[in-house]
Amino acid sequence: MLFELKNLSKTYQGRAVLDVEQLSLEPGKIYGLVGPNGAGKTTLLEILGFLRPPDSGRIFYRDRPVDFSGRSLRRLRQEIVLVQQSPVLFTTTVYKNVEFGLKVRRVPKKSRPRIVEEMLDLVGLRGWASAAAHHLSGGETQRVAMARALACTPQVILLDEPTANVDAEHQAVVEDIIREIKSSKGLSIIFTTHNMVQAARLAEEMVFLYDGRPTAGLYENVFSGVIGFDDGKAHCLIQGRFKLPLVAAKTGPAKVLVNPRLIKIRPQGSGEAAASELAGLVRQLTWEGAQVRVLVDVGLPLTVLIGFEEYQSRPLSVGQKAALDIPAEAVEII
Amino acid sequence: MTLLLDGLFSALLLIKSWDPELWFIVWVSLKVSLASTVLAGLLGVPAGFLIALSEFPGKRMTVTVFNTLLAVPTVVIGLLVYTFISRRGLFGPWDLLYTQKAIVIGQVLLILPLVITLTIAAIGRLDHRYRQTALTLGASALQTSWVILREGRFAVGAAVIAAFGRVIAEVGVSMMLGGNIKGFTRTMTTAMALEYDKGEFVLAVALGLILLTISFTMNVFFNLFQGRIRT
Repeated sequence: MLFELKNLSKTYQGRAVLDVEQLSLEPGKIYGLVGPNGAGKTTLLEILGFLRPPDSGRIFYRDRPVDFSGRSLRRLRQEIVLVQQSPVLFTTTVYKNVEFGLKVRRVPKKSRPRIVEEMLDLVGLRGWASAAAHHLSGGETQRVAMARALACTPQVILLDEPTANVDAEHQAVVEDIIREIKSSKGLSIIFTTHNMVQAARLAEEMVFLYDGRPTAGLYENVFSGVIGFDDGKAHCLIQGRFKLPLVAAKTGPAKVLVNPRLIKIRPQGSGEAAASELAGLVRQLTWEGAQVRVLVDVGLPLTVLIGFEEYQSRPLSVGQKAALDIPAEAVEII
Repeated sequence: MTLLLDGLFSALLLIKSWDPELWFIVWVSLKVSLASTVLAGLLGVPAGFLIALSEFPGKRMTVTVFNTLLAVPTVVIGLLVYTFISRRGLFGPWDLLYTQKAIVIGQVLLILPLVITLTIAAIGRLDHRYRQTALTLGASALQTSWVILREGRFAVGAAVIAAFGRVIAEVGVSMMLGGNIKGFTRTMTTAMALEYDKGEFVLAVALGLILLTISFTMNVFFNLFQGRIRT
């Protein structure tokens, strides 16, 4: 295993920002760490980069326990580089920024220019070496920061929202760079995003974080509601209108997650939706390779994921009416 | 008004005539002030740096104490150092009183809180991501500190220049510990005070002009340097 986290927790000012019971990440893969703002993605990334110790719990890197108070931390940090959400470049030239990691690793001065040039080439900024780093745009800064990280020849690269602060053009470039470094250098890549579509496009594996906890499902269909019982059957009432069935023991306010893979969807046609079904309009369709993401507006925005083959047998179109059947096992209390 | 204009005119003539006494006073002032600034910088910048970057109980109190020390009058420092270096003082046998060294000691104590406070502010204001970036790129603690200092170099430089401005313009310490001895410990400010007492304004005004020119030149150089790096 590349990383193994056990009972890891981190608290800020009395608020638990991270609470991971168990999480394993394999080497050589692209992981997408997905979650809304405040889910603890950045904190987790900083812990994985050995830049911040957890309050409790253990973390294993390549099957060895990590000692955050130890002197070995610098050696470990030299294998893992974090590129921050809005990276800062040192107030000097682009060249010196990219050279920094080489300098601290005592790479001979003679071989540095070649490596720097190669890295700038990789991020599409060949010939920018002598530019002043603080005059670059957000997208260029992001790319220089990636070149600077890659020059360190890390085993693992951690990217915090790599495209959050760049325009669409740079976004595509950054995504291409991520794919390129995975295929050419065989690095393990862990990136965070709150953009599900991007995560599905880039990641080989996804980890969903919600309120500091890895969740089995997706974080998109998360709603606050009140749990109640009708004839002994539990339901969660959302916005006072929508009753979702679920398995629960207690009544009261709760946050629930509706697993988008377990929602059944069918084109409604002209007939009425069954009593147990929710009806709505298809707002968005995204093809994500093996699956299709459907956003249905039933009064609540609900995301449904269906297999591509299943979709082909019963295609939907945008603006079409659809009926959703949400079984009790699809609704999980967070 | 005539007094000022006459004084100004005669002062310019005095400066132009390269009066040796005048320039010796300027030389002593610069030498002593530069020595105090360098020493205070060597002690104060690392101290401020450490305080800014480390977390320890009583940190806020420490910062408050240094802030308070900014307001200590020069004469109080003069008096304090005097009690240590006068004949009856702890360091009396070292014969420091009324020497340039004595002025330097007093001035270092005077500006040390200033350098420390301004360095704490300069480093504290710096983006914390610089530290994290250096660490994640594999830098050691020392290399990381160097990165932070480099990024804060203008603000730290400004702190040191402010300290120089304070010592070159102070009178209390130089007068009490240097004694205003002609050709030995007479500085621009003590000379100006003396000339004023004598009712001789020409030398005082000439020294005043030079003092202002020095401050102005230092700031111009600093701004040029800052501008050249930033563009």
